[in-house]
Amino acid sequence: MPGILCAIRGGPASQPTILASIELAKETQETIYFLYVVNLDFLTHTSSSKTNHISKEIEEMGEFILLSAQEQAVLAGADAECVIRDGKVMEEIVAYCQELKPAYVMLGTPEEDREDNLLTLERLQAFAERIEDTCQAQVIFTPG
Amino acid sequence: MNNYKRFILIIVMLVTASWIFSWDQSATAQEGQDSLYIYGKMQDTQFQPIQGVEVGLFQAGSQTPITSTFTQADGSYALPVDQPLENALEIHYHRTHFKDEVVPFPQQARNTLSEDDSVTLPIMVLEREITLAFWVSAVVFIIMLILIASGYLHNTLAAFAGASALLGISYLGKPLIPSLFIFSFSQAINYIDWNVIFLIMGMMMVIAVVENTGIFHWLAYHAYRISGGKMWLLLPILMLITGVSSAFLDNVTTMLLMTPITVQIALTLNISPLVLLIPEVFASNVIGVSTLIGTPTNILIGSFGNITFNDFLINLTPGVLAAFIALIIYSWFSYRDELDTEISVSPTLLKKLEERGKITNPENLSKAGWIGGGMLLLFIFGERIHLLPSVTALIGSAALLIWIRPDIEEMISAVDWTTLVFFMSLFIVVGSIQEVGLISYIATQIGNLIGENLTLAMIVITWFSAILSMIIANIPFTAAMLPVIGYLTTIIPGADSKVLFYCLSIGAALGGNGSLIGASANMITAGIAERAGYKISYQYFLKKGLPALVITVAISLIWLFIRF
Repeated sequence: MPGILCAIRGGPASQPTILASIELAKETQETIYFLYVVNLDFLTHTSSSKTNHISKEIEEMGEFILLSAQEQAVLAGADAECVIRDGKVMEEIVAYCQELKPAYVMLGTPEEDREDNLLTLERLQAFAERIEDTCQAQVIFTPG
Repeated sequence: MNNYKRFILIIVMLVTASWIFSWDQSATAQEGQDSLYIYGKMQDTQFQPIQGVEVGLFQAGSQTPITSTFTQADGSYALPVDQPLENALEIHYHRTHFKDEVVPFPQQARNTLSEDDSVTLPIMVLEREITLAFWVSAVVFIIMLILIASGYLHNTLAAFAGASALLGISYLGKPLIPSLFIFSFSQAINYIDWNVIFLIMGMMMVIAVVENTGIFHWLAYHAYRISGGKMWLLLPILMLITGVSSAFLDNVTTMLLMTPITVQIALTLNISPLVLLIPEVFASNVIGVSTLIGTPTNILIGSFGNITFNDFLINLTPGVLAAFIALIIYSWFSYRDELDTEISVSPTLLKKLEERGKITNPENLSKAGWIGGGMLLLFIFGERIHLLPSVTALIGSAALLIWIRPDIEEMISAVDWTTLVFFMSLFIVVGSIQEVGLISYIATQIGNLIGENLTLAMIVITWFSAILSMIIANIPFTAAMLPVIGYLTTIIPGADSKVLFYCLSIGAALGGNGSLIGASANMITAGIAERAGYKISYQYFLKKGLPALVITVAISLIWLFIRF
């Protein structure tokens, strides 16, 4: 069941990626799989005892982000599914690609003014190659 | 119980009581008959009692004491004298980090002792001595603050490493350079405020039960329903929910729970979550300060300054509520454009919000409500029987656990041990700078700067704390400031109302609103918001937070001027 994998974080920066996925889905008649990864790395400097509980809360928040994207897709006439995973973002995207074997993987490019963004253009390029090597999907970049 | 058993019970109780009474009498009589005592008290130059001073009575020129003892926590000592005394006596006072003192034993006091009467000497003041240990402790403390502020090490690890380094230096360094000795292990442990540790631990267990009941989802959904989707109404309702929760739970837990739910509401209404989240975190930092248990800094202040739950309610809450109202008005103004925008509700997300807006464990919530209510009564009325807040928290948490019988492993893991270790280590690090006299030095300098002007002291402490709390972690800052405030309270006329402790409380907590790194709750909110794709930058937070800080601190301070 090839499809379009669209990993999103939510917020305005994800909108171009969501819209591009919808356009591609309408064009190719593929289903979009919106993926949200629950990552709790930011909790390393606070209470570890809250990790379990907060993981559930952020998962629910992720569900809302995905439902919002799915609603957008459905309204635009595209099929969309929602997927949530826990862990490191890049690792989980690759792992899900291996499971899904999508035809396309949509990746948002980092904003230029985001100095803190770990996903630099070079890293993103290397990441795209890794995806293409592991599941032979075509990676499409969208401005993020 | 039949009459026979009742009679036996009364007899046993009477016998026990009379035995305790007679034992007490005989002990006193024994003490009175056999020993004479030289009583006295030791203080530092800031009138604070000094514990652990070695007090010895010596024959002049002799190296062996006739008798010796150590001072207690209140600085007092009782030197037993059980042999006839000769002339030319001296009393030697010795304690690490203080200058040794040798004073002649007064002839009049010797005469009194020879008449078989105990004698009380005047209060003795010891001066501080700056040794190598002073600088070592100062450096370790500053490094710990830098490590925490920079985020290079986890707070707990930074404090734990600091405490270990201080003890390591004391024990390993002393044989090489004696002046490196800071304090012994038992002295270090004595600096840990167990009232704070057990209060936090007890409250963590209660919170762990409450947070799993779905109450926050229910409240958030009903906030939306009551507001009817009107943003200008939804905003203050969510701020109030967050604020009231923060008054009883810690701010970090409150924001951990409220942020994801607020993001869900914002997505449903198709607005930026920051419009709701930023005012919420401000409200959490502001209203949290209104109760003894609302912030860790208040717990520290309450325990050190002997300020009760009621004291906080009476002396701080009205000012905090006024500041909160001003904060709502400021938030309306600050986000006026976003609040005026027409909202479009997503039916799918609204349905999901409604599904989630249910109490998931009504039985536990009801039990937690009863126990929480009982704890509140004990916090309020317990002071009449000198019930410590930590004891109330322990009784409440134990009762709740017995009542709901949760998986005990799960409950124990819900206790944030890293925070408790952080506090214990922090107490040791701050204790070291107290031990070597750094705090005393700072207190003297601030005292000289402020003089005896209470108004100036209130302004300086409040704003100084607020500005510093924007930059450095407010918990170590508060812990270090407490002895300073304690000193100022004793020297500034009118400060015995403990008003300066309230100034510290306001400054340390509300100062957190001034910058993203000013409070842990801010960082948590920013972290979760970023996971939803909404970044809260340092500049953005500063732009919104600095006016909030100025407004809320100013109003709270005005209240303190009115109140005191």
